[in-house]
Amino acid sequence: MTLSSVSWQHRLSAIASGFLGDWLEARRNPLALSMDFRHQGQVVTPDSPVVPDPKATLVVLIHGLMELESVWTFPNQPEDHYGSRLNRALEGGVTTLGLRYNTGRPIYRNGQQLTEALEQLVSAWPVPVQRLVLVGHSMGGLLIRSACHYGLNQGHRWLSALSDCVYVGSPHDGSWLAKGAQASAGVLNALPRDYLRVVGEVIDLRSEGIRNLSRGDVLAGEGELAALVPNARHFVVCGLLAGHARHPVNLLFGDALVHESSAQGSGQGDWILAGSATFSGIDHIRLAHHEAVAQQLVEWLS
Amino acid sequence: MTHEKQAQAKWWLGVTDLMANGLAHGAEKVQRAHLSIADESFNVLARIPVTRPVSEPVRAMHHGISRLSYGSVSRVAGALAACSQQVLTEAAGSDQQPSPEASPQD
Repeated sequence: MTLSSVSWQHRLSAIASGFLGDWLEARRNPLALSMDFRHQGQVVTPDSPVVPDPKATLVVLIHGLMELESVWTFPNQPEDHYGSRLNRALEGGVTTLGLRYNTGRPIYRNGQQLTEALEQLVSAWPVPVQRLVLVGHSMGGLLIRSACHYGLNQGHRWLSALSDCVYVGSPHDGSWLAKGAQASAGVLNALPRDYLRVVGEVIDLRSEGIRNLSRGDVLAGEGELAALVPNARHFVVCGLLAGHARHPVNLLFGDALVHESSAQGSGQGDWILAGSATFSGIDHIRLAHHEAVAQQLVEWLS
Repeated sequence: MTHEKQAQAKWWLGVTDLMANGLAHGAEKVQRAHLSIADESFNVLARIPVTRPVSEPVRAMHHGISRLSYGSVSRVAGALAACSQQVLTEAAGSDQQPSPEASPQD
């Protein structure tokens, strides 16, 4: 069961959307990806979902910045992903949907749209949804928190089916690279040489989505904290570049983009997590399709 | 024209729009970087007695040619970007509620 067929044009659109998605959307440029659920390469419309053999347990895989749902697919195994592993492990099986969206938009706007889409999807699902599992990689994890916040505010019913949220390498407290870009642009823009200010201005062209990753902003108000939604279990998966946890490379770069403390949401207040796992030697991208992570998810969610 | 061909045409229009805007704004930024880097050299030449008399005329000529070159590229690309924006707006207007199957990426 493949999540999606992806061409080089899809990939280019995803990269362009990540860098400049808000600007592309404002210009109605077709490179700006729209938000949709996908199953076996087909778009699933939230208000009239049609999938073969729909299950009562839904798993939604949400990719990160500049990615597509194909990031979840195991290398050289196009039909294998975390959803297919859970399908085999959970009683009754699961239906897995991949979410595709414009990662350059502000996270809160994607969150507001996602909660509406989930409300429609769960209401119109061909069988009553008994369990909903959201798995987000990188920015996808922030999007889950944003959607949960707005869904809670609007009294959405899909939250009553939500059983588990899994945040895979999500920069809840920001990514060091996004922070570095912001700081570099600030310094360069303040310098008296025009050729240096030009570099700062080019860095400043980055999308709102990338800017949100500086601090892990998931709500419309800057710096506003979004608590973990109650009545659901929350799991955190972290990666580390080097094989030894205390290796200096891990302290500097974490999983290449996100530090372990940020992935655990250390700066977000008192989070009560149902589980947290750190995988040394697995980088940021491989966290989305790694055997060890798959085993951990099956153990947590079974 | 089939849905697939329409989607392909719109996708390439999007690429054209992005490239045209990138070229228009890129040319302006490269011009600013080029002139400010050149100014560093001309400022040095202006402080040396032997080169001082010619440095300002050469600077003016250099900057004039550069502005003309980069400006031409920027204006042509800007015009192309304006055209593509117009077409994109019209296309969006005639396709307010696209079906999922007609998504530009499919």
